[in-house]
Amino acid sequence: MGRYIVKRVAVGLVQLIGLTVAVFFLIRLLPADPASRLVGMNPSREAYEQARHQLGLDQPLLTQLGAYLGVSSSGAGLLEGDFGTSWVTSSPVGSEIATYLPVTLELVTISFVIAFLVSVPVGMVGALNPGRRSDKAVFVYGLFAGSQPEFWWGLLFVYVFFFTLGWAPAPLGSLSPMTSPPPAITGFLTIDSLLAGQPDVFFEALQHLVLPVATLVFVLSGPIVKMVRQNMARALRSDFVLYANCAGLPPARVARYALRAAMAPSMTLIGILYGFMLGGAVLVENVFSLPGIGQYAVRAVLAYDYPAIQGVVLVITALSLVVYLGIDLIHAAIDPRIVH
Amino acid sequence: MRSFTSLLCAMTVASVVAGPAHAETAKTILFLAEDVPSGLDIDGASASITTSQTGMVNIMEPLFGYANKGVNASGIMVPDFSKFEGRLVDSWEFDPKTLIWTLHLRHGVKGCTGNEFTAKDVVYTYQRGKSVSGSTPVGWFLANVASVKGFTADVFKNPAARTLNPDEVKAVDDYTVTIAQSEPNALFLPVLTIFGTYIFDSTLMKAHATDKDPWAHDYANNVSPASFGPYCVERWEKNQEIIFKANPNYWRGKPAIDRVIMRRVPQSSNRLVILRTGQAQLTQNLTPREFDSLRGAPGLKVEGVEGNESLFMIMNFKIKPFDNIKLRQAIAYAIPTEQIIKTGYFGQAKPWHSIVPSIYPGYAETPTQYPYDTAKAKATLAEAGYPDGKGLDAFHDSFQLTYPAEKESTVGPIVNIIQSALRQVGIPATLNPIPLAQFGDRTLVKRDLPFALNDYDKAIGVDAGYTLQLFFVSPSKGGIANESDYSNAYIDETWPKARVETDPAKRNALLASMQEQAMKDVALLPIVEFKTQYALSDKLTGLSWQSDSSERFFDLKLQ
Repeated sequence: MGRYIVKRVAVGLVQLIGLTVAVFFLIRLLPADPASRLVGMNPSREAYEQARHQLGLDQPLLTQLGAYLGVSSSGAGLLEGDFGTSWVTSSPVGSEIATYLPVTLELVTISFVIAFLVSVPVGMVGALNPGRRSDKAVFVYGLFAGSQPEFWWGLLFVYVFFFTLGWAPAPLGSLSPMTSPPPAITGFLTIDSLLAGQPDVFFEALQHLVLPVATLVFVLSGPIVKMVRQNMARALRSDFVLYANCAGLPPARVARYALRAAMAPSMTLIGILYGFMLGGAVLVENVFSLPGIGQYAVRAVLAYDYPAIQGVVLVITALSLVVYLGIDLIHAAIDPRIVH
Repeated sequence: MRSFTSLLCAMTVASVVAGPAHAETAKTILFLAEDVPSGLDIDGASASITTSQTGMVNIMEPLFGYANKGVNASGIMVPDFSKFEGRLVDSWEFDPKTLIWTLHLRHGVKGCTGNEFTAKDVVYTYQRGKSVSGSTPVGWFLANVASVKGFTADVFKNPAARTLNPDEVKAVDDYTVTIAQSEPNALFLPVLTIFGTYIFDSTLMKAHATDKDPWAHDYANNVSPASFGPYCVERWEKNQEIIFKANPNYWRGKPAIDRVIMRRVPQSSNRLVILRTGQAQLTQNLTPREFDSLRGAPGLKVEGVEGNESLFMIMNFKIKPFDNIKLRQAIAYAIPTEQIIKTGYFGQAKPWHSIVPSIYPGYAETPTQYPYDTAKAKATLAEAGYPDGKGLDAFHDSFQLTYPAEKESTVGPIVNIIQSALRQVGIPATLNPIPLAQFGDRTLVKRDLPFALNDYDKAIGVDAGYTLQLFFVSPSKGGIANESDYSNAYIDETWPKARVETDPAKRNALLASMQEQAMKDVALLPIVEFKTQYALSDKLTGLSWQSDSSERFFDLKLQ
């Protein structure tokens, strides 16, 4: 198992390095010049050249890469953990990512946990009752939830639960404008509020998470339910389940065996979805005014903010690789044959 | 399963018990914005972004401003562009022989930390601008446009030229400053009202300077542009919110609103519903349809001003077939202005009869006009050599009507109207939304967009000459915002004369002739001037408008 982990981590590192270099060159193919966005109000030739010089864009590409990695004499770079400075905000990209990433991680992680806890039993109910009404209902739910765009559900939830019913808080971000956030320790508002001994802020943060989490859970549960239902149904038709039934094992134990076999592919899907949602939650972040990493990434791309784009891609990729590694390990635990 | 149920129950109960938060207190307002400032340095990367300018103009203070003209029919205080008033300046004199402005500064003006404003702050601000050390040299640019002596393009090539000399800007004593011009130029006072010339608190800025950043750009961009304005930064979380607190030392008196919370709500529909619930007091940048839906809503009002926002079309002079003047004129006759006003702006716009904002000094309604007339459009198209559009298919790429994709909700309905109208006369227009940054790059720097629609670029210097210089003088002669790559010898020769003309009547006549020339050439096609609109609580009064369209929180009062 240890060798397997080392091998997976090594492959992940190679992927990360390759991606870092590829992204560096790819974003320079974007069809606009970041210097021209900066000069905005004064796009004279002198101002434009000045902006290019300030951004280092007047240097050869390899020199720029060297500066980015920190192997040239121009200062700290990526190898020393410095992601550079945003060309839009003039703030260090690393600290900006540290601010925005926890917002998304908190949203996506809570949503995935709830989506998982909802979807597995729902998918099992469908698989254990093939052809019955409950199975059909599960099938329809999986189809319906997974096929609707999240921003649409988000706007609908805002209209119904905030504007019409008044149950939910306004889509104004993580906290009400009148509430001061706790000092940032982990960056996760729910954890920081508890660490700061502010349960009122904790509950307010939860309250503001209800609608965005509900939106994501609804959308995410669709494919997970479908996956669990199909894999479970397949497992229930397999030889070992037939043998278990013939051997007279209780149905609950047989279902547990089948679930274990069904979980491996479902976990893969969850892992892929999680990695995707780190950047893909942007629409939900946008609807609920949450300052997450997805919004940051979109702003960076639209502003051609190279250091920010590079930083976000790198961090999300690294996180995705960690998640995939975790999924592989869980997969290996469920099915030890994979290690070999 | 039990843990999930408990969590869900806890979350639901919490939401029901707590209910919606109530933002409004006695002297705090919640302002919902499309974005919050991403930087606050006037020479920084965010200087051209309107939301950043909103932060700058409420924290910093100018030397000059415009006197108030009164409240318009909609309830907005508008400026009198013919009357300047001193802000940090108490009184001033100009000597036309020496071209020196002597500014007598106001006494007893204090910033947020209690530092007192003196002549050294003015000198510091101009020296900082001349250093061109920021990523966008806006301070230098505006001083250059106002012909402040020494602010030439030489500073970019010659580091020695970046030092401010006493014969350019000088502190005569603690409360007297002289600023010299290199030539007579009526733009001096209008330019000194623009945010990029606002004055820094040099004591605080110097305290945050470093060897690497001697002009404290990082401090201005990430903490505050220290100055003497009505508000100070209480808290600032980029991408989320900025809270302004009243400067108790402000020279015009402590602002009536103690705190302004500017919160980012990117979805305009959410800004609308939050405002309707009464949890916020002010918002802008809704779509015309959304503003229209709020008219008559209980507890709310929509106020608008015919300011300097406009919709215009760019047809690039250097790209075929737009080098054909008859084709440009045919397109001009084919634009259904009234339909655009009715459908695109819900009546909150008017036809534009020149290429300069109609409220600006020096504006002249030109004799040449292009009223909507499809028969005339077809006839002119035939004169252009393309009867019924025959032969135009060869220019498919040129007829991609480009507009910023981020403006889809406002410009989207309009481009569809224009596309249909053009096809009706035989012009094969297609639509091409592109990202705003790319749009800016291609219109302002590369100047390679053949055909485009723009509703956001505007000249914030309140003067016809300022607009004409930026948008219509040849790029090689200073027309830095010349998006059509237009070049005309008469305009290029006349602007230098108009710039130094000291007789206002003669200057206005020259500016009027330049406007007529540009209209004849369809240098850009003016379509409509639309209202800048705001939606606000009916308890909020005192909203004022300035040419940068940024709200001045000092003027607001909460009943």
